[in-house]
Amino acid sequence: MKRREIVGALERDRSKWGWAFVAPGLVFFSIFSFYPMLNAIWTSFFNKRLLSLKKPTFIGFQNYQRVLGSEDFWNSARATATFTVGVFVPLFVMSLFFAALITNMKRGKRFAQAALYSPAVLSSVVAALIWLLMLDPRGLANQFANWILATPGIDHQWLSSSTMVQVSTMIVYVWKYLGYFTILFVTGIGKIPDSVNEAALMDGAGPIRRFFSITLPLLRPTTVLVSVMILIQCMKTFSTQYLFTQSGASLAPINVITLNIYNTAMRDLNIGRASVMSTLLFLLMLGLTWIQLRVSRNSEAEL
Amino acid sequence: MMRRSRETVGSITGSLVLFAACALVLVPLVFMLGSSFMPAMDIMKMPYRWIPEVWKPSNYLRALEGNDGSWMYLRNIFNSVLVSTSIAVSTVLLSSLVGYGLAKFRFRGRNAVFMAIMGTMMIPFETIMIPLYLIAVKAGMQNSYAGLIVPFLMNAFGVFIMRQYLITFPDEMLDAARIDGCSEPRIFWDIVFRNAGPAAATLAVLSFRQQWDNLLWPLLIAQDENMKTIPAYIVKFAAEKHADEGAMMAVAVIASIPVFVLFFTLSKYFLGGSAVYQAGKE
Repeated sequence: MKRREIVGALERDRSKWGWAFVAPGLVFFSIFSFYPMLNAIWTSFFNKRLLSLKKPTFIGFQNYQRVLGSEDFWNSARATATFTVGVFVPLFVMSLFFAALITNMKRGKRFAQAALYSPAVLSSVVAALIWLLMLDPRGLANQFANWILATPGIDHQWLSSSTMVQVSTMIVYVWKYLGYFTILFVTGIGKIPDSVNEAALMDGAGPIRRFFSITLPLLRPTTVLVSVMILIQCMKTFSTQYLFTQSGASLAPINVITLNIYNTAMRDLNIGRASVMSTLLFLLMLGLTWIQLRVSRNSEAEL
Repeated sequence: MMRRSRETVGSITGSLVLFAACALVLVPLVFMLGSSFMPAMDIMKMPYRWIPEVWKPSNYLRALEGNDGSWMYLRNIFNSVLVSTSIAVSTVLLSSLVGYGLAKFRFRGRNAVFMAIMGTMMIPFETIMIPLYLIAVKAGMQNSYAGLIVPFLMNAFGVFIMRQYLITFPDEMLDAARIDGCSEPRIFWDIVFRNAGPAAATLAVLSFRQQWDNLLWPLLIAQDENMKTIPAYIVKFAAEKHADEGAMMAVAVIASIPVFVLFFTLSKYFLGGSAVYQAGKE
């Protein structure tokens, strides 16, 4: 009887300490994550303006109507979607391809991984700045493209044509993140038991056949995870587009949603409408992150 | 036999393709380094010379001095170092604290707390930056180190890593310390935190790098030249009218030195980070 009381007291003491340890987290995340999120949703129903002394008034779904009815918003949705797809396909295919090559290599694995990863070490702004100079009409990109395509003296208008400037932002991004996702795939492939591959080898399956029939299906948790991570990353893209537009590229083709939120709030001072776009972006990302968490939990269970 | 030799040819081709790709990926880095020592004219010369014909190390002086001679870059580098380091330290400390609470104490509502914190991973910073900005302004944190640092004192990913790592920490050691009369804060500090090495290092490196890269928040909260961090400085420097391309690349090289030093000395933790992301539990 007495023993149980002591144990009970100890347990209560322990649970108090548990709360004490997690308390800073609760306070922090309430103030810096939950409150701002609720606040963004709340504000999206008001005609709130930055620097205005007038009290914001409740206007229901009017902000949503304005935003969803504006060409500017749909242009941003288009810019973000184009960018996302344009980055996703090459980034996914190339990082998987290089990961497969790296796995099959006997020597130089570490070098190849480090080399491919090195752009990911740079800041996004630095990456964008290097490319800004290389994409100059007189720059390296034109020289290289003309050498490959055997079209001397042609300016490919990397930064001035509205199609090419979109391609340029995609190139920067694929270049920067290629190594990062390659390494994720290398790790994923490394988890596939050798025995499966050896069995296929015994059965006489060639490397390409092995890749498509063994590696790819068994890699599913990683491929789904990488897909979602690329999608989330792309939808949040900001630095490259910001640096390009600040340095003279035209805004409309690369006015991605994050850039639009920033400009709507800080340049147009329209907090209400910026909040609408924030809320819409949040809902979209919520769906994707949910998939990511589910998949990573499942893959943990499988391994 | 036939097959064996075909596979060898295949793997050699594979290696060649891979090394060609590596070379291509490294081109912009070589371009950055080489151009940082060239006069602007040579950077745009056709054909481009990889090794400077005319060396111009004064690009670096220009980079630090700025186009207006205010030496603001030095100040902004200091800001970046201070902010990124503080955030790395506090993220590791606070995440371990919370992660430890979640890993080693049983209390009612623990799962709810864990889920709530993990839930914040679903809130991308980009969607809450405007309300955060308004809060920070109200709190008078504009153009201050507090404004730059406080919103990033810890993050859910950090809590997650530390919790996963500390769950494997032997309970016997904790209980032995309790029996010896060690207080709970002491146990955390002397036993748990001291042994959180690898996970803490990974988290510190990741947080530092992430903040070093952060552009959006400093852009909002630190509009004073004095309080800018490196990324915001770079955007401004590059957008100025008479910006010299050589000096731009020098600015870029200087900004990259700390992260590359980290990468080469701690590549284990750098690359480990992406693996942790994927596996969650190792």
